[in-house]
Amino acid sequence: MDLVVTVIQATLGVAALLAVIRAVRGPNLADRIVALDLVLLLLAGGIAAEGARTGQATFLPVVVAVALVATAGSLLVARFIEWRDTP
Amino acid sequence: MTPVAVLGTVLMGAGTVFSLLAAWGILDFPSPLARMHAATKSASLGLALLAIGAGAAAESWALTGVGFLVAVFMFVTAPITGHMVGRAAYLAGQVDTLVHDDLAGVDSEPLRIGRPERSVRRPLRWAALVLIWMILWRDLAFGTLIGGMLVATLIEGLRKSFADDTKASLAGLVIFLVRYAGMVVVSNLRVAWEVITPRNERIREAIVAVPLQVGSLNAALLVANAVSFTPGSLAVELTEEPTTLYVHVLHFSTVDEVRETVRSLERLAARVYPDRTGEAVGNG
Repeated sequence: MDLVVTVIQATLGVAALLAVIRAVRGPNLADRIVALDLVLLLLAGGIAAEGARTGQATFLPVVVAVALVATAGSLLVARFIEWRDTP
Repeated sequence: MTPVAVLGTVLMGAGTVFSLLAAWGILDFPSPLARMHAATKSASLGLALLAIGAGAAAESWALTGVGFLVAVFMFVTAPITGHMVGRAAYLAGQVDTLVHDDLAGVDSEPLRIGRPERSVRRPLRWAALVLIWMILWRDLAFGTLIGGMLVATLIEGLRKSFADDTKASLAGLVIFLVRYAGMVVVSNLRVAWEVITPRNERIREAIVAVPLQVGSLNAALLVANAVSFTPGSLAVELTEEPTTLYVHVLHFSTVDEVRETVRSLERLAARVYPDRTGEAVGNG
C-alpha cells in the first residue's frame, strides 16, 4: 500500500506540474485560474491518498477545506473577470 | 489484501489516471473553454474516486463516508465553477474559436432570484448541515458547533437564491443518479481518448441554444448541472422566458444532436421533479 500511495502521489505531482505550466503560460486569466484550481484539486487528491496509507481520517477535513477553497477562489475570480473585462 | 481494499486501490488508480488526464488536457487543448472541459470535470471525478478509493483501501467506514461527501460536493460545485468561469471568459470576449454560436447577441441577464421557501424543511436541513459538519470534524467542542452553525446559515442563505420549492422525488433521484453515473463514466472515457490521441483536429467548438421543456426551475438547474458535469458539454448560460440553456460543446456536428442529448437528461430530471399540475413534461 505504501508503494501504491507513493506512486499515486508522484503522478499527481507530475499532473500538478503540467497545470502550473499552463498557469504560467496563460494567456488569459480564465486559463490561469482553471489551472490553479486544478492544482488545488490535485493537492486534495494527494491528501486523500495519504488517508489510505495511514488509515486515519485526520487529514480529511483538509481535503474538504482545500476543495472548498479551490471552488470559492475560482468563483470569485470568475466574478472579477466579468466585472473587469465586460464592456 | 481483502477484496474491498483491492477495489479501493483500483478506484484510487482510476482517480489518479483521470487527474493526470485533466492536467494533460489543460496543457494540450487549444482554447480556454476546451481546457475548462478537460480540467474541471475530469479532475473532479479524479478527486472523488481518490477520496472514495482511499477510504475503501484503508477499509475505514469514516474515510469512505467522507469520500462520498467529497464526491457529492464535487458533483455540485464543479459545474458551477465551469459555468461561471466559462461564462466570464465568453463575456470577456476570450472565446473566438466557435464554429457555431447561438449565444451571440443574446442579452446575458443572470437568472432571476427565486422566492425564499417557507417550510419546516428549512430548519431540518439546517440541522442536518450542522450535523454533517460535526461528523466531518468528529468533535463535539463548542467552537465546532458555532462554526457549523455559521456554515449552515451561509449555505441556507445561498441556497434560497438558486432554487424554487418544487419537491424532489426520491425514486426519481435514484434513477437519475444511476443512469447519470453511467453517462459520466462513458463521456469521461471519451475525453480520455481525446486527450491521449495526438492533436485536436476533431475539436469543433460551438455554443448551442437548447429550449428546455421541464416545468420547474429546480429541474432546469439539475439539467444544467448534469450537462456541465458531462465532459464534452458545458452549460454556459441559462435564460428565462423561454427557459433556454446555452450549451458549449467540444464536438459539434449538428444542433439536433446536442438538443437530443440534453433532452435525455431532461426526461430523467422530469422524474426527479415531477410536475404536479399533471402536464406531460419532457417527453418531446
